[in-house]
Amino acid sequence: MSQDDILIKTTDLWKTYKMGDEEVHALRGVSMTVQRGEYLAIMGPSGSGKSTLMNLIGCLDTPSQGNYELNGRQVAQMNDDELAYVRNKEIGFVFQTFNLLPRATALHNVELPLIYNGTASEQRVDMAKRALEMVDLGDRMMHRPNQLSGGQRQRVAIARALVNNPSLILADEPTGNLDTKTGLEIMNLFDRLHGAKNTIILVTHEYDVAAYANRVVHIRDGKIEKEERGRRVAA
Amino acid sequence: MRQFYESVRIALSALWANKLRSVLTLIGVIVGVATIIAIVSLITGMNQYVASSINSLGATTFIVEREGIITSEDQWWDRQKRKKITIADLAAVQQGCENCETVSGRATTARTAKHGNKNVDDVWIMGATANWPQTVDFDLEQGYFPTEADDEHRRPVAFIGYDLIDNLFPGYNFIGQTIRLGGRDFTIVGNGKRRGSTLGESRDNYVIIPLSTFEKYFGTRRSVDLFVKAKSFETMDDAKNEVRMIMRARRNLSYGQDDDFEIFTAGDIMSIWENFSRGAFIVMIGISSIALVVGGIVIMNIMLVSVTERTREIGVRKAIGARKSSILWQFMSEALTLSFVGGAIGIAGGVLAGWLLSGLSGIPMGIELWSVVAGLAVSGGIGTLFGVYPAMKAARLDPIEALRYE
Repeated sequence: MSQDDILIKTTDLWKTYKMGDEEVHALRGVSMTVQRGEYLAIMGPSGSGKSTLMNLIGCLDTPSQGNYELNGRQVAQMNDDELAYVRNKEIGFVFQTFNLLPRATALHNVELPLIYNGTASEQRVDMAKRALEMVDLGDRMMHRPNQLSGGQRQRVAIARALVNNPSLILADEPTGNLDTKTGLEIMNLFDRLHGAKNTIILVTHEYDVAAYANRVVHIRDGKIEKEERGRRVAA
Repeated sequence: MRQFYESVRIALSALWANKLRSVLTLIGVIVGVATIIAIVSLITGMNQYVASSINSLGATTFIVEREGIITSEDQWWDRQKRKKITIADLAAVQQGCENCETVSGRATTARTAKHGNKNVDDVWIMGATANWPQTVDFDLEQGYFPTEADDEHRRPVAFIGYDLIDNLFPGYNFIGQTIRLGGRDFTIVGNGKRRGSTLGESRDNYVIIPLSTFEKYFGTRRSVDLFVKAKSFETMDDAKNEVRMIMRARRNLSYGQDDDFEIFTAGDIMSIWENFSRGAFIVMIGISSIALVVGGIVIMNIMLVSVTERTREIGVRKAIGARKSSILWQFMSEALTLSFVGGAIGIAGGVLAGWLLSGLSGIPMGIELWSVVAGLAVSGGIGTLFGVYPAMKAARLDPIEALRYE
């Protein structure tokens, strides 16, 4: 395992919130490493700190203490604009509630990250089209979200996450709003993406979903409780 | 740049999607801008009208009248009590004023003019000295203006305007024909060119007869207005003073007493108009400012609602890489789109309102480019000023909080 293979390295991450007079520690010293190409799931009950960890990994927030190195960048001390840049380039978010712009076409939704990094118009449309084709929605590019099913909407969101060739796909309960059959389709899609050498981190509280990953990290009370291999990986 | 175009597109589609809400949002800005455009164009039109009316007077002519320019009802009553100006006064001024090139006189009344079984009501009858055309801009078309000989001999000759030609002699020659004014017959010797109408009134409904004929047939109760042309612009003040001295002497006014007559020039008339229009302009600015501030506050409120409604969306945009400045510019663009659309509608509305008011009241209208530019600039200013606060609120949202927003 060379240094180049490490995508994420967190060292003793703490996140503390002030609630009135009290201090609440959402994370109490989390250290972990994620390699390029890994398929990782983070599991934990409510209040375990898994959302806080996800927000830190996704560069939506910075830790109160500790280091976070993402793809060679020290992220922990970055300011808002720098974090925005990193989010744009390195991270592809997939949300439980899809979070698409309701009045824009699928193509335009997928283009959005490219607009924010100033990509030229023609190139943008090309990249967006390819991303949509990768998730099998090449024929629905001009549809609006209200003309798409739940599964299709999530696929548009995944295409949006992919469009910038991010280092990491970060999915928060991606099947939470989908029925079992559609959820299965989406998890199969993630498998395909993993096969295409994408690094995927899933955050979930469902074992069935976590099982798709190669490695499962359990969090409780702000600390890593244990790690195990995903059920599907041969022992 | 693309981001700006994006935001404009979003704002326009949001406006179109909810037309009633949009109109209500923009009413303040629309009214404010429309007021500016309409009033400026009416004032401009009136300026042009006043200037052109006064132009016929010429730069070196001044008027000596009993009443003068009246600005209140009390003033009118007071001035009616004054001594009238007579032909004798005219002769005295003519003789005594060295700086006066021409002194002419004019007295007026109104009568019905008849020819055969046709008549024209409310004709403006003017008795004038033969030299009157030298003191004002005058357009002779056919025939001649009553001469000094006509005046001396008090001949019943008439110089008519086009309303009489159109109504009493349509299509045939009128020179040499007679018309009956106030029970007396007059022979037509000439006519003036067509002038058209302004402020809803025709300017072709007149008859000019010699001043002494006027006094013979219509009595000497009317005061004579003196039209005095000074020898040059530089000596006009001297001429005015000479005339004033002569008139005061004839009326035995002592040093401390005010004039009991009025002397004024085209410039004086213009000043009074300018005072009035300045007042109207200030009122307009007051009204439109209030409307614009109200309009701005409404836009700000709607933007705040919009930011709240789209909190989740802002969170997502930030998550995928939008910086604070992008979000700020996005919402500023939306506020500016709103205010410019309001401004554009206001300009169209102002032009329409000005046109309607002009048609109804007869006041002419002239659209000034600077008022349109001002309208746009003002809309832009309102959008910027009142869009800043909501845009900053949006930009400062914490992405994590925003993403959790229901």
